Amino acid sequence: MTRTPIISLQGLRKTYEAFEIGPIDLDVQPGYVVAIVGPNGGGKSTLMGMLMNLIQPTSGEITLFGGEYPYDEVAIKRRIGYAPERPSGYDGLSPRDLGKFVSRFYPGWDQRLYEDLLADVAIEPEKLFGKFSTGTQRRLSFALALATGSELLLLDEPTAGVDPFARRQILEGISRFMMDERYGGRTVVFTTHVMEEVRRIADYVAFLVDGKLLGLFEKDVLLEGWRTFWLDREPEGDVAGQVELESGNPARLVSDSPRETEEALRAQSIRIVRSGALDLEEILSHLMRRDKAWRIKSSRTVE
Amino acid sequence: MSGEKWYPRRGPHVPIRLSMEDPQPMYRQIESQLRDFILAGQLKAGTKLPTIRALAGELSCSVITTQRAYQDLEGEGLILTRQGRGTVVAEIPEEKLSARRRDAVEAAFREAVRTGRRAGFTEEELRDVLNQALHLDHTDVSGGIT
Repeated sequence: MTRTPIISLQGLRKTYEAFEIGPIDLDVQPGYVVAIVGPNGGGKSTLMGMLMNLIQPTSGEITLFGGEYPYDEVAIKRRIGYAPERPSGYDGLSPRDLGKFVSRFYPGWDQRLYEDLLADVAIEPEKLFGKFSTGTQRRLSFALALATGSELLLLDEPTAGVDPFARRQILEGISRFMMDERYGGRTVVFTTHVMEEVRRIADYVAFLVDGKLLGLFEKDVLLEGWRTFWLDREPEGDVAGQVELESGNPARLVSDSPRETEEALRAQSIRIVRSGALDLEEILSHLMRRDKAWRIKSSRTVE
Repeated sequence: MSGEKWYPRRGPHVPIRLSMEDPQPMYRQIESQLRDFILAGQLKAGTKLPTIRALAGELSCSVITTQRAYQDLEGEGLILTRQGRGTVVAEIPEEKLSARRRDAVEAAFREAVRTGRRAGFTEEELRDVLNQALHLDHTDVSGGIT
């Protein structure tokens, strides 16, 4: 499935007075859902802004569909459905007018889908955008992005501030977007700080913490690469893959190389009472703890 | 998001379950469950399978995992992917089916023999165990459930 990346970032940096993002190196292949995850204030929205050329990078390169800003800006943006975290300039427009406004720009605009999505949200088509609740505004932005008929969706915190029911509809919307096989496979890049969303719909996950990319991981490989073992006794010395050991009965050992750990435990005749996967939160916190070691190996390409 | 009107309907469904407790990688779990369904005849030749994206969505795993599983099963000749027509269960010749059944039985016996050897059983003792198991199973079956 290796094709030309749909998004390629090289040494991308944005420096503010008190904060620096990057350098970020990242390739996204078409056909996948990529979640950019991290605490608030970690640089997710700035990264999105740079992808849309709304924020100028301090240095580095952004390539989208093989083109670059500013030369290919129009051509690039016609292929992207973008839902910003806080849309600007929408407040004085009604959903109907927003649809008209956005549709002019997108050759693949799908008016029926847009109306359908509005009906789902039970939105009054004449009410002004600024008068809607944050959650409804979020869903409207999402509807606009989806109806563009684009091959790439960039969604900045698409589910922040929406109720659980709407959250489910948005995630479902993303899944359905991906099932459409137009363009030989579509691509979604979304930011979130909710791990459950990542677990449910992402193929790849990129952790962005304090402006640094802790790596782009194939989600399932990441989940399978870590395991907790409960043991009838503590091993002597560090065993292979051991990341954390908690005494007790049973003792609890976290490993980032489960196979090697199992072998080492067997060699010491230690019985594994139980074993289980780690969830993404736990994995992220381990990754953050040894940020540096990982940063060297990571922030590389999707293969 | 909008009912079923605009996007492909949810397609065929297969009752696969992933367990995070299982130390096997997810793609292996998918493979072995699908293989069992196919070889046991529960999924007949020509049955449409979900797309890799639909299956990934259902199992909350990545599309890379479902693709890997489908590729392996296609390599084994159990399923077929046709451009534009999706993935279906392949026609598997009867002799291949019975050979595979035999493979599975043989593997189980080999494992049993290994267990016996590890426990220090002689060949004679192993035969005894086998005969006894056959006898027990036979009485089980003929006794039936009342």
